Amino acid sequence: MNRLKKYLALTRAGIIECINYRMSLAVMVFGNLLYLTLIYFVWKAIFASSGSDVVNGMTFETTMIYLVLATALFNFMEMYIVWEMGRDIQSGKIALNLIRPMEYRNYLFWSVSGSFVVNFVFTFIPTFIIVLLVTKGTIALGINLLYFIPAVILAVIINYEIDFIVGTICLYTESIWGINIMKQAVVTLLSGATIPLAFFPDKLRTVIDYLPFRAIYDTPLTLLLSDGTDKNMVMTKLAISFLWAVLMSVISRLFWKVSIKQVTVNGG
Amino acid sequence: MEKMIELKNITKEFKVLNRREGLKGSFQDLFSRDYKIIRAVDDISLSVGQGEIVGFLGPNGAGKSTTIKMMTGVLEPTSGELMVNGRIPYKNRTANSQEIGVVFGQRSQLWWALPLVESFKLLKDIYQIPQKDYDDMMELYGGLVNFDEILHKPVRQMSLGQRTLSDILAAFLHNPKVVFLDEPTIGLDVAMKSRIRELILELNRQKNTTVILTTHDMGDVDALCERIVIIDKGKMLYDNDIQHLRRFFGSYRTLKIRPGEDMKEVEEHLEKELAGMDVRISHDDEWISILINEEQIKVLNVLEMVQEKHEIKDMQLEEISTEDVIKKIYREGV
Repeated sequence: MNRLKKYLALTRAGIIECINYRMSLAVMVFGNLLYLTLIYFVWKAIFASSGSDVVNGMTFETTMIYLVLATALFNFMEMYIVWEMGRDIQSGKIALNLIRPMEYRNYLFWSVSGSFVVNFVFTFIPTFIIVLLVTKGTIALGINLLYFIPAVILAVIINYEIDFIVGTICLYTESIWGINIMKQAVVTLLSGATIPLAFFPDKLRTVIDYLPFRAIYDTPLTLLLSDGTDKNMVMTKLAISFLWAVLMSVISRLFWKVSIKQVTVNGG
Repeated sequence: MEKMIELKNITKEFKVLNRREGLKGSFQDLFSRDYKIIRAVDDISLSVGQGEIVGFLGPNGAGKSTTIKMMTGVLEPTSGELMVNGRIPYKNRTANSQEIGVVFGQRSQLWWALPLVESFKLLKDIYQIPQKDYDDMMELYGGLVNFDEILHKPVRQMSLGQRTLSDILAAFLHNPKVVFLDEPTIGLDVAMKSRIRELILELNRQKNTTVILTTHDMGDVDALCERIVIIDKGKMLYDNDIQHLRRFFGSYRTLKIRPGEDMKEVEEHLEKELAGMDVRISHDDEWISILINEEQIKVLNVLEMVQEKHEIKDMQLEEISTEDVIKKIYREGV
């Protein structure tokens, strides 16, 4: 209990900090609207040129619902951990964070957890409600909401571990920009954050099935948008996400341990 | 006295890539395996008891910060034995950090956007400080500093002095056994420096906390430390009390004069008058600096000497600098 308390204290501070920067919240909402307008017209054009109402098993409406929710999810999932770590490493502030009475990976995670909460409440939930009202009944309101919660939690963990692994690479490269851009491109594309995975060619989809990325956006959204009757599908997806979360944690933990040793031995 | 810190033949080496010049050189560096080894800390042995305040003195790049980083557990020594509070600091960083406090120069460990009191509450939870200890500490702090002006101010709106003050308070908050202060007074004005020094001294007295601080300000040393360790180029030059060190700087002052006429003339005149005495004269573009041993001749006499014949536009009196002390130690031995 006490252990959890020290982590939750970080969450609490993160929430206060986040709300302090309320202007940035407003700017983020505005930026989203711009982005959503853009993809609205892009996809409208795609469906118009295809000449049929259903492309790859998705209608224009389901595609838009998926993409709007993916954007909302992206806003609270993307915590710029790689930037954070890179800045810590470049400025040498990492020395201070290494001597906090908790492990760096935990410290970092719980430090950003406050903005998870804020962004979930202030961007994801309102977006979801708006989509719900606008599309009137396309999204089922039932057991699927319940499945969505563990899926999102696992997605947050997997996303964090991937970021942490990429951030650890900064210990070697001492630069952040290129690595971060590459990571972002790979993750957003292969996870289905920018284009629904249904639109991918079959071969690529087979590859993606064996990668952890789809557990971040595709799995939670698929579960949310399903009616929740196919218990088998739900359980398989959750089990796969869970396995990825465990595996990625182990990898990132080991990688960090080896790497930080490098720094403390050879100097940074 | 209980031993708090124990260093035995500590050495720390860094591997650094030999960088080449220019664009072509940068490209070659991409594939270079040409490393050189830099010895930042060279065979330092030291033992510090509980409640001591030890000042690490030395010019920039002398190895002070590296030594501190090893004692806090951030860096691992290349060779030698190191114990802090009965623990090897880099082996168990998390447990070790419960019992140390750190202020690293101008980097703040506080939460930028939060009012100071929120940072304190957060530290209370992170370090799991019992409510009663926390309240006692806050009461103690309230008596030592003017809390009203900083407690509800977000850290990013603080002046550098207030931030340093807050950082020091934060470092002592969980009542650690050892506090490391890396250049705590850097960049502060004289009044703030003295407030910070008083605060450190008072906390050390009340809590019997061991304090290790690095500085290149002789004033810090004068006000705080019973014991001085001088480090230069990674080697320990001096480890003794301050009284001994006074031999090297106590009776020395630097008089700086900006003459209204030709500098050369003034300098030559002084050199002639002061020949045979323990005085060193040098100059830069504007100032003539005269390092004077006051046991032999008083600063005022020198000033008079100049004023008789020359016009003085401006003058300054400076305490001897760390660099001068180190130069003297090199020249004369301990």
